[in-house]
Amino acid sequence: MEDSTIQDLTLLNSPVDQISHLAVDIGGSLIKMVYFSTNREKSVDKTQNNSSKDNLLSGRLYFLMFETSKINECLDFISSKQLHCRGVQHHGFPASDKNTIKATGGGAFKFADLFKEKLGISLDKVDEMSSLVSGANFLIKSVPSEAFTYVNGQRNYEQIDHNDLYPYLLVNIGSGVSMIKVDGDGKYERVSGTSVGGGTFWGLGKLLTKCKSFDDLLEMSHQGNNRVIDMLVGDIYGGSDYLKIGLTSTAIASSFGKAVSEDKELEEYRPEDVARSLLRMISNNIGQIAYLNALRFGLKKIFFGGFFIRGHAYTMDTISVAVDFWSKGEAKAMFLRHEGFLGALGAFTNYQLVEEFPCTAGHYNRNPLVEDLNDNGIIECCLRASN
Amino acid sequence: MDSLKEDQSDTQAIDNINEDAQNIREKEDTEKDMAPPVGNSIHRSGSRPQLDLSGAAIQGNFEERDPTILLPNQSDDISHLALDIGGSLIKLVYFSRHEDRAVNDKRKMSTKERFGVTNGNRRSFPILGGRLHFVKFETTKINECLEFIHSKQLHRGDNDNAVIKATGGGAYKFADLFKEKLGVVIDKEDEMNCLVSGANFLLKVAIRHEAFTHKEGHKEFVQIDHNDMYPYLLVNIGSGVSLIKVDGDGKFQRVSGTNVGGGTYWGLGKLLTKCKSFDELLELSQRGDNSSVDMLVGDIYGGLDYSKIGLSASTIASSFGKVISENKEIEDYRPEDISLSLLRMISYNIGQISYLTALQLGIKRIFFGGFFIRGHAYTMDTISFAIKFWSKGGAEAMFLRHEGFLGALGAFMSYEKHGLDDLMVHQLVERFPMGAPYTGGKIHGPPLGDLNEKISWMEKFVRKGIKITAPVPMASPRTTGLGGFEAPSSKGDALRCDESNLNVGVLHLVPSLEVFPLLADPKTYEPNTIDLADPNELEYWFTVLSEHLPDLVDKAVASEGGTDDARRRGDAFARAFSAHLARLMEEPAAYGKLGLANLLELREECLREFNFFDAYSTIKQRENEASLAVLPDLLMELDSMSEETRLLTLIEGVLAANIFDWGSRACVDLYHKGTIIEIYRMSRKKMQRPWRVDDFDAFKERMGFGDKKPSFRHKRALLFVDNSGADVVLGMLPLARELLRRGTEVVLVANSLPALNDVTAMELPEIVAEAAKHCDILRRAAEAGGLLMDAMINTQDNPGEKLSSTPLMVVENGCGSPCIDLRQVSSELAAVAKDADLVILEGMGRALHTNYNARFRCDALKLAMVKNQRLAEKLIKGNIYDCVCRYEPAS
Repeated sequence: MEDSTIQDLTLLNSPVDQISHLAVDIGGSLIKMVYFSTNREKSVDKTQNNSSKDNLLSGRLYFLMFETSKINECLDFISSKQLHCRGVQHHGFPASDKNTIKATGGGAFKFADLFKEKLGISLDKVDEMSSLVSGANFLIKSVPSEAFTYVNGQRNYEQIDHNDLYPYLLVNIGSGVSMIKVDGDGKYERVSGTSVGGGTFWGLGKLLTKCKSFDDLLEMSHQGNNRVIDMLVGDIYGGSDYLKIGLTSTAIASSFGKAVSEDKELEEYRPEDVARSLLRMISNNIGQIAYLNALRFGLKKIFFGGFFIRGHAYTMDTISVAVDFWSKGEAKAMFLRHEGFLGALGAFTNYQLVEEFPCTAGHYNRNPLVEDLNDNGIIECCLRASN
Repeated sequence: MDSLKEDQSDTQAIDNINEDAQNIREKEDTEKDMAPPVGNSIHRSGSRPQLDLSGAAIQGNFEERDPTILLPNQSDDISHLALDIGGSLIKLVYFSRHEDRAVNDKRKMSTKERFGVTNGNRRSFPILGGRLHFVKFETTKINECLEFIHSKQLHRGDNDNAVIKATGGGAYKFADLFKEKLGVVIDKEDEMNCLVSGANFLLKVAIRHEAFTHKEGHKEFVQIDHNDMYPYLLVNIGSGVSLIKVDGDGKFQRVSGTNVGGGTYWGLGKLLTKCKSFDELLELSQRGDNSSVDMLVGDIYGGLDYSKIGLSASTIASSFGKVISENKEIEDYRPEDISLSLLRMISYNIGQISYLTALQLGIKRIFFGGFFIRGHAYTMDTISFAIKFWSKGGAEAMFLRHEGFLGALGAFMSYEKHGLDDLMVHQLVERFPMGAPYTGGKIHGPPLGDLNEKISWMEKFVRKGIKITAPVPMASPRTTGLGGFEAPSSKGDALRCDESNLNVGVLHLVPSLEVFPLLADPKTYEPNTIDLADPNELEYWFTVLSEHLPDLVDKAVASEGGTDDARRRGDAFARAFSAHLARLMEEPAAYGKLGLANLLELREECLREFNFFDAYSTIKQRENEASLAVLPDLLMELDSMSEETRLLTLIEGVLAANIFDWGSRACVDLYHKGTIIEIYRMSRKKMQRPWRVDDFDAFKERMGFGDKKPSFRHKRALLFVDNSGADVVLGMLPLARELLRRGTEVVLVANSLPALNDVTAMELPEIVAEAAKHCDILRRAAEAGGLLMDAMINTQDNPGEKLSSTPLMVVENGCGSPCIDLRQVSSELAAVAKDADLVILEGMGRALHTNYNARFRCDALKLAMVKNQRLAEKLIKGNIYDCVCRYEPAS
């Protein structure tokens, strides 16, 4: 998170930016933020090129994260950047909700008073599921090269047919996991969920490895070997496959099962191996439950979002394999580049300013600053006042 | 002498702690000290030729004492042991059998001859006595398991090249070890196959109260309809989890599974809490609060519910999610909280995946088994909740009492000739031996060889201080010393009583048991009148039994001459039975659905386990003699009455004589107030009608004393008798005599084994013979019924005379309890019942505690004096000493 903050700060330091339309998603573990920024010169170009309307504004969407436990850093940041009081009065936008920002997630309730007290702004609460869904719909429909499958270590970007998008299953892996059946814009139902999610990975990982951050933990898992601690089918069957039920000897029979029979203390296991086992356990489980729910409603497409994934190869691989395994290839796991910001983006779309026509994302080839960004990068788009 | 020797083995061997497969050698040593049961040798004529019993139906006649198992075609070269070697635990199911001993019991033979009782409808098998035992070891302690097998010689079939059926992953892994250490070959059986056949066996055949639901700590046993049990989803939670769709015998498919299972709980738990065992970890969870580590919906929403999506503030949003935001080390968290959080996470997850899978397959019944559950209340509640929550109440989680033994049982079933397939539910009796309340089948320490070691174990064990919470009396001045009833206060370390674990008994396979054919509706028949599900009721009866215990121990010790050995056994019995009570008080469902009859039988079984075969033998003999002495006077008095008056007097007499009951505290006090005949007459005088329940007029009318009805004579009456002494001699015998006089055949039905002062089928012929000395009616009837041995030899010479009189017969009922469950009666009782058209149940145990509401296909009369105030209030809204004369015509 520190990384993304720094990157975006660098960008924000650019004096030409006009910042507006802040939306926040305050989850149990992380605060996700989306805001719009114009590049003055650029915006002039765009408006001139596109139409005569003067309320059309071209710019970029920026994405940031803070840990919820460090909410004061977040407040300081908002305060220092004056994100909250720039509102949208520039360029002729209405200024009526100057001191209000769109917010979603449980923290929008929990921290409402804090925002009022510290920054003097009110949080306009947007329903969490509704935000997730509109965020996802926005990304899938409007942002090119947003969705991809992950097979054998390869990202394959999928061109989603907008007319054949619904219904789909949206699996948002935050601290916990929500599974939402989406039938259209604003048409959705939370059909399932599980408490075994990103918070579990991070929480258990913190206890088991003393790792200080989620990203460190993920990074560590990359170097781990889960066979050290997981009980594999081969461990039980003396190295042979239990083929009759379709399990190979390397299939995990019991996550952390090997710790049972070994007389080892926690300290004797490599944290990397522990992190790996944990990641696999949780990813696989989410994949399985997601598949079962997709099957239940006959859904072929499953989109995974939420901060847990982080574009982490092994996580995506495990989830993909789980879905593929259980569905026997019938269902596909798909991931979103802006996975962590569905809620925040959904809250942002609640300003009802986002243009319908295609945006471009992360293709700022002309701008060296943008090229350095990772996939959670900025999105170029146009805004206008809808009323 | 050998042929006279009773098989005592069940009394010492019915525990699964250790027990059995008793070396014959060892058994013989013990048996030499045993006195043969009273009455066995009376009228035994040495000159009488032995009948050939080889093809006989009722072999090993005292079924309860020598529970005969039918392992019909079992060849001698296969072992009686099957294993399920899992990643964490080794489960053993083994069969212990006993040599068939033909007991030379003439009463039995004569009855058999008389009624032509043959094999019933069963095939003719060599019948072996035996039991199925369920025990378990931790896989890491496989050497203890090997030692156990070795010491019991379980791996030896009757030849040396034994093959043991085994399943579970370890069957592969440890095959070499078994070969090396025990010299046996492991024959690997498919794991899923075993799980399914184990589950099918348990659900379909074996145990009445096998499946139950679990809601908010409350267990409810579910009667599975054997004809409508498929398909079901079997979720086996071992180290990992398998979900199996079962469509029938041998028809199943593993449809899903998850790697987040018991091994995950234990493995992660071990790393996080330093717990040394699964049980320790589970126990920790009982004191945990998961909200200190889990992120709840309320934590995210600032205490508000997110009701829009149906989540309350206390719903777990993210397991272990709270750890993220707190700056705490692992040591700062309570291990209890961590354990509970883990347990909830994993149970809930399994419940969810199971529900989704069942939904996908359109299956309504979901059974959970495997060692993860262990009857642990919280685990079951969590899984149940998950199923209920996700299915919106449409599906229900069910659990199995033998959950951990599915695989091992299935492996046992895979022996080609195990003979279990043909067993019916009424042929199995589950017994809970002395260790049952503590261990639930888990083996600790070396096997106990003989009774002496068991007693030592009991003594040592109680000294160690396992918590006993039930109302067990403190050391009473009347006990046998040694503080037999002390209530130790602290929990033991080596052995523990898992409060939520369900206990698994030993399955006695008794092929000669049958359903009583005169039950109107065997399917809905419930023997117990008192439902102990009501905690107040339970506590009351526990208190009654506890208070009666010192007296019972005194009697038992006295019955064996009051020797030091008897005292020691008496103390051990008291400890063992107190432990049972404590266990059941804590978890009434621990042994399956609990009724008063089960509790009373448990006490008798417990006595037998410590070699007290007949605690009341002295008393019974004395009272029989005293009653028989006054019988002639009574008969003379009766004979002077008109038939109609006599019928009433006889019924009054039965009710009056029923006051003689050592099982009733109130009555024990009465004994000090006069002689038997004085009490009897005083009691009869008080028998003023109307009784509290009084159908006498209807009965009298049926007996032909009505105004309109033509005289009616029953063909055959079954009289279920109760106590020795006055009860049977002055109450039931005169009634029997009256029926005989009217031309109704009479069958006296008595216990197979002693229970309190109840008269047994072994003792009755002697009593009848004595009574017959002074009464021609009884003498001729007894001769006709083959009860008088010398006479019988004569009648064999003159078969014509034998049929000239209406016979009086004696059969055993197949049980050794003061109550009777008519779903499991001896085959000889079932055989004589077929021609019977009148059933008379007498006494509290058989007519009130059980069968009060039973309906019969023939006329039934239930007679008893209520010698318990609470029962009187509850059952008949009356008072102590009120009488019940309930007559119900055939339904």
